[in-house]
Amino acid sequence: MRLTRQYFCVRDVVWSTSTEFADGVLYVDRDELKRVADSAAQGIAQVDFDIVAPGENARIVHVLDTVQPMVKVEGAGIGTAYPGCMGDPETTGEGVTNVLEGLAVMESAPLPWESAAASSGLLYPRDAIVDMVGPIAEFSPFSHTFNLVICYSLVEGKSSAEYDRAIRTCALRVSDYLARATVGKVPDRSEEFTTDNVNPDLPSVVLVWQCQSQGVYASTFLYGHPIDNLVPTLLHPNEMLDGCIVSGNYVWPAFKVPTYLHVNHPILLELYKRHGVDLNFGGVVFSRSHNPTHWHKQRSSSFCVKLARCLDADGLVMAWEGGGNAAVDGMLTIRYAERMGMRAAGITFEFGGPDGTEGDLLVDSVPEANAIVSGGSIEKSLVLPDVARAIGGDCFRLNKESGGWFPPANRSIAFDTTTHIYCSGNQAGHSRLHAAAY
Amino acid sequence: MAVKLKAIYYINQFYAGIGGEERADAGLTMFDGVRGPAIGVAKFWKDEMEVVKTIACGDNFVNTESNFPEIASAIRELVDQVKPDVFIAGPAFNAGRYGVACARVCDYVRHELDVSSVTAMHHENPAVSMYVKNNLIVATPETAAGMSKILPRLAALALKLARGEKVGPAAVEGYIPTGHRYNELHEKTGAQRVVEMLLAKLGGQPVATEIPIRTFESAPAAPPIADLGSTLVALVTTGGLVPKGNPDGLRQAFSTTYGSYSIEQLEFIPSGDYESIHGGYDTTIVNDDPNRLAPLDQLRSLAALGKIGGVWSRLLTTCGIGTNVVNGVSIGQRMAVELKSAGVGAVILTST
Repeated sequence: MRLTRQYFCVRDVVWSTSTEFADGVLYVDRDELKRVADSAAQGIAQVDFDIVAPGENARIVHVLDTVQPMVKVEGAGIGTAYPGCMGDPETTGEGVTNVLEGLAVMESAPLPWESAAASSGLLYPRDAIVDMVGPIAEFSPFSHTFNLVICYSLVEGKSSAEYDRAIRTCALRVSDYLARATVGKVPDRSEEFTTDNVNPDLPSVVLVWQCQSQGVYASTFLYGHPIDNLVPTLLHPNEMLDGCIVSGNYVWPAFKVPTYLHVNHPILLELYKRHGVDLNFGGVVFSRSHNPTHWHKQRSSSFCVKLARCLDADGLVMAWEGGGNAAVDGMLTIRYAERMGMRAAGITFEFGGPDGTEGDLLVDSVPEANAIVSGGSIEKSLVLPDVARAIGGDCFRLNKESGGWFPPANRSIAFDTTTHIYCSGNQAGHSRLHAAAY
Repeated sequence: MAVKLKAIYYINQFYAGIGGEERADAGLTMFDGVRGPAIGVAKFWKDEMEVVKTIACGDNFVNTESNFPEIASAIRELVDQVKPDVFIAGPAFNAGRYGVACARVCDYVRHELDVSSVTAMHHENPAVSMYVKNNLIVATPETAAGMSKILPRLAALALKLARGEKVGPAAVEGYIPTGHRYNELHEKTGAQRVVEMLLAKLGGQPVATEIPIRTFESAPAAPPIADLGSTLVALVTTGGLVPKGNPDGLRQAFSTTYGSYSIEQLEFIPSGDYESIHGGYDTTIVNDDPNRLAPLDQLRSLAALGKIGGVWSRLLTTCGIGTNVVNGVSIGQRMAVELKSAGVGAVILTST
């Protein structure tokens, strides 16, 4: 499989009377964009847009998924991206794809808390926060991107499944529309991705990528279908680059991995960078984390290792989305891999309390897990500063289980953990956040 | 010329030249200026800092508990007089008594006299597990053969402390990790580091994991119940079941507390009056029938049949998700106290 990504570097985004990409500036016809968004309007009363730039003294709240705008210009699925969610669910990962680098389409919606739409203790979106500057800016990738935020007003009385589908479809259509502005243009740079040219002298390495899928609002989609019952499977890394995985997971802001990071997966890109240099990138084993019982976890994790063996892997990188439940799946995979003679390294957030000395640092561990990278501790208190403006809502939406707490979104707020900070679990390895040992 | 920074240096009778094992009972001696390894350390400071006093004590004497108050008060007096910028001890390598003496005087000086301190020893020295959490201990090889390698590190860290500069992470400064961990930004991303770590492992190079595994405490199983028919049985759950509205504001994750609710008047737990607030599983089925999480209906029928001695009058409940082990242990211990004092002989604990 060979995929060429053509990168169009976005240096500014401005509203205009027509949509066009020229000299690094994305001009967007707001009315036209609204028409594109409204065509997905089941469950959505109206949408509004906001452009947030890197370095701006701004905060975005109620963040759901975030998407990388890109479009297929050669190969299967031409004219769109994210097959299965947009277009036919046909295998992707070959041909040419245009990517608007440095731009993210971000969903923000105050999804209802009423039991009809959020019936469960798990399955409701907790407020996810992105700050563009200040102490948490580096926690998410989106302090470095231009963010076109879609702010949704919702129709009352719909089901969670209806809201979820409408919001995602709308964002993917907006993403498609924006990316199409690059068609026929000369990219800033191109990069070819292939796992061919294997060097037999180098070790073979695979990425095992385990994602959360526990129902509406906690879903991950593979070619448009939730992976709740997925038997671990094999992906070519190019399929991920082309958007075969889309996130519908909004339940724990720190632990979720937005679509943007599935298609720009930092570990996958790192393995590609080193392919043929000091390793052979053998592929991606993709599975569900949060398997419901130990029995299911054994079945799934040993299956993952079996697939890695079929790829003749010498080593694997174990990474997962989600919290302590997912850590058990990850640790079992590491154990099975090491027992089969493979070497394994992993990455996860950690616990440890305010000073790091409290108890065990992980919810689960196995003796074989002797090469684990820290993605940072979630048990650190934080004070977010005042910001010049908040996008997505006037108030935070916090502490649903205690009846709700709605302080002003543009004002300073203190948290005793990082769980509301978007992507702060660092599970795809995007960030430099880590817990330093003193 | 600027005023020199001042250090006080602690060594044992051997390094002070007082004598070997036969003089291990020697009391505290104070020397003006440098002596023993202090000579080697001080030369790295050039003119910026000097050792004003070197103090020495026999390893047996200092480790005899009844002698320590006398040593402590002598050190306090000396510190009051010299007003040092830093206190240094060792290196003790893997010498157990010397290591404990170094760590203990450093701990005393740091926490009682508010003077920065640093010592050095091998990571297997028994003093490390006793004192490392709240003290700086530079890592050394096992024996004094590693002296020349260690002295520059000890000197550098001592000077940093004396200057009042921020001490960096353990791996950077060369001290043994204390267990304290704080969020920072690394120069590389997590993705870069995890791939590098795997490649090092594949290459057979030593790999330092960033998240050390701390040992889980194992809890032995309770003995079987001799006579269930006379045993009071309690319901405890980590499934987050609370009276509707969550009156105590229990957290739906990262719990530090638990709720205790009377079920004395209930034949079963009615849906609608109770709900699960747990943030880690789909609570729909539990909300439809809370007895499937906390099976009060079944316990009542067993009690009516005389199969169990009775059902305890309260339900204990918390959310088992994201709770760190220390908080988990604390919640469990507090629950156990409440259960024991109520005469409960058996517990059905349902998790989710």
